[in-house]
Amino acid sequence: MKFWLVRLASLLLAVGFAFGLESVVGHQFPSIYRLVVLAGLYITLSVSLNLINGITGQFSIGHAAFYMVGAYSAGFVSKALFSHQPLVPQLWMIVMALFGACCAALTGLVVGLPSLRLRGDYLAIVTLGFGEILRIVTQNIGAIGGAYGMNVKPFGSPPQALWLVWLLAILCVAVCRNLLKTAHGLPFLSVREDEVASAAMGVKVPKTKVTAFVVGSAFAGAAGALLAHAETFISPDTFKMDVSFIILTMVVLGGTGSITGSVISAIALFAIPEWLRNLQDPVTKDPIQIPGPALVASIISVVIAVALFKAVQNRFHGSKPAKFGLYLAAIAAGFVCKLAFTPILAQAPGLAAKSFEASALRMVIFAATLIILMLIRPQGIFAHHEFSWSWVAKLFRRAPKEATA
Amino acid sequence: MSTTGEKPVVLSLEGATIQFGGLIAVNNATFELQQGDLFGLIGPNGAGKTTCFNLITGVYKPTSGTIRFQGKEIGGLTPAKIAQMGICRTFQNIRLFPALSVVENVVVGAFLRHRTTLGSAFAYLPSSIRETSALKKEAMDLLEVMDLADVAQARSADLPYGKQRRLEIARAMATRPDLILLDEPAAGMNPQEKEDLQVTVRRIRDDFQKTVLLIEHDMRFVMGLCERIFVLDHGEEIAQGPPEKIRNDPKVIEAYLGEAV
Ligand SMILES: Nc1ncnc2c1ncn2[C@@H]1O[C@H](COP(=O)(O)OP(=O)(O)OP(=O)(O)O)[C@@H](O)[C@H]1O
Ligand SMILES: [Mg+2]
Repeated sequence: MKFWLVRLASLLLAVGFAFGLESVVGHQFPSIYRLVVLAGLYITLSVSLNLINGITGQFSIGHAAFYMVGAYSAGFVSKALFSHQPLVPQLWMIVMALFGACCAALTGLVVGLPSLRLRGDYLAIVTLGFGEILRIVTQNIGAIGGAYGMNVKPFGSPPQALWLVWLLAILCVAVCRNLLKTAHGLPFLSVREDEVASAAMGVKVPKTKVTAFVVGSAFAGAAGALLAHAETFISPDTFKMDVSFIILTMVVLGGTGSITGSVISAIALFAIPEWLRNLQDPVTKDPIQIPGPALVASIISVVIAVALFKAVQNRFHGSKPAKFGLYLAAIAAGFVCKLAFTPILAQAPGLAAKSFEASALRMVIFAATLIILMLIRPQGIFAHHEFSWSWVAKLFRRAPKEATA
Repeated sequence: MSTTGEKPVVLSLEGATIQFGGLIAVNNATFELQQGDLFGLIGPNGAGKTTCFNLITGVYKPTSGTIRFQGKEIGGLTPAKIAQMGICRTFQNIRLFPALSVVENVVVGAFLRHRTTLGSAFAYLPSSIRETSALKKEAMDLLEVMDLADVAQARSADLPYGKQRRLEIARAMATRPDLILLDEPAAGMNPQEKEDLQVTVRRIRDDFQKTVLLIEHDMRFVMGLCERIFVLDHGEEIAQGPPEKIRNDPKVIEAYLGEAV
């Protein structure tokens, strides 16, 4: 009884959150409505890829392909059929999300079945190749818009898709979390850890891998279907290899296997470039300029700080607080270097005259952030850990416990 | 089911042979394990002992010959299928699931008896929650028996070597096999640990009613534990019988180059 009450409450909470977000963003911040939609889609994409790569230990690097299958199949059907059927747009989008999920799952089965039965990293090559082939083929099919792309406007006005996108993200997180909370998650993890030992314990290794791949693809397909309806326009360029790599980066950066990590790094990696793109002076509204000497000094000092940080990480084996102090010192050393180098570099005649627009450097900053994070924390931000309430409770309880000890 | 003497035959190899390219790793192996046997498989390095295990557990398909388990031919079935039929093993070079906790490792073994569907786990239905706690409880009971309950929540990779070996046995036991194969379970253990292990292996046979087939290099360990022994050298059988007979067999003494057997 209590179980079902909790279940009902969390369901209501999820739906309430999705609609709350829809109305808050829709009414208060319409300028970022589209970004919030995309962020929700990226959460679904990274968590679903995490099921394949992080939890089951496979190496799929073409997740955008299944996103694309969902988008195009749902978009195409929606265009052709919506006007002939009785559902309201909201319900129709749910049906289309399911349809996109089914199409992507089927595609996943066709792609995954042969490549997952083999050992080694065939999956990486196959998924990457499949994504590119699919994109190029689509570019050449006139009926679905070819290289120009396809308009998906079944409803008169653009649909309110944000709530649905975030519900999908919550569903995806819930499904993966539930899997890991029950014993059914263990064969997936054990396949990641050791296939031979798993098989010897009676785990059907190929079936487990294919299941993870198909479920992950289905979620990507549902996300694609919602994208098609939310954006009302899709083209092969929407699903370039970059998208696959961004999703992969989200998974790796968050910590392979950690759902929490995937969610947080999906939001962060999506938001950082967007934030950098719009960097402007708060008063004059001009794009922010970075003077040449400051930029070069920053690069040098970041390199120094990271090198010091790594040195502390690898060489120092003292107590935790001492190590933390040294980390802070390494970062402080970086700042000091920046301050020291900037005036020196300003003497260089060629450099002093130059300046760079911050938004133009955004991909550079983005890439540098990734490299630095991977250098100082190769296991990903969350490694294998998950957010949990007991963990939060422990944080708060720790202080008095130590006092009594 | 055929019987010799009084007890039913659990496992029988008849002329089991496997060839890797030009190398015949196991040639014409023929032996039989009866219910409740404690059977030893010995031989010098590279004799083909582990390969024998790999044949029985379906890692390799025999080139010729038959392998029967409880009367059913199992040669060439997948390892997962064979595990489900009731044969489970440990590995010479320990193969735990390193990032999983000790109890999770054991639950993976117990999981082959799951009844709920994957869908019920995705939806977190009460049935799958109940099953999870039942399997966990079962795993904890096994850890108690194997004297590992105190480290149940530790990462299995963090255990000391001897405990890792014991955990591997616990994990195999969790599948509730009729026949358990142990590949050098005492390797790397100190004398005290070896003695404890002998007690454990006896308990597995006596209290849990398993049939045990084990590979071991330590002659004192094997001779003190096993009731029947099969000796391989270069993939060929050189002797078979009770420990007293093996100890005095000239071919065995020669294969071990005069080492005290
Ligand atoms: N997959 C394989 N391909 C080719 N040769 C193999 C393969 N597996 C085992 N062998 C060879 O078969 C022979 C027997 O190996 P096996 O591992 O069974 O020996 P063992 O009796 O377990 O020895 P040890 O006591 O060292 O564990 C060795 O010569 C080995 O190189
Ligand atoms: Mg061996």
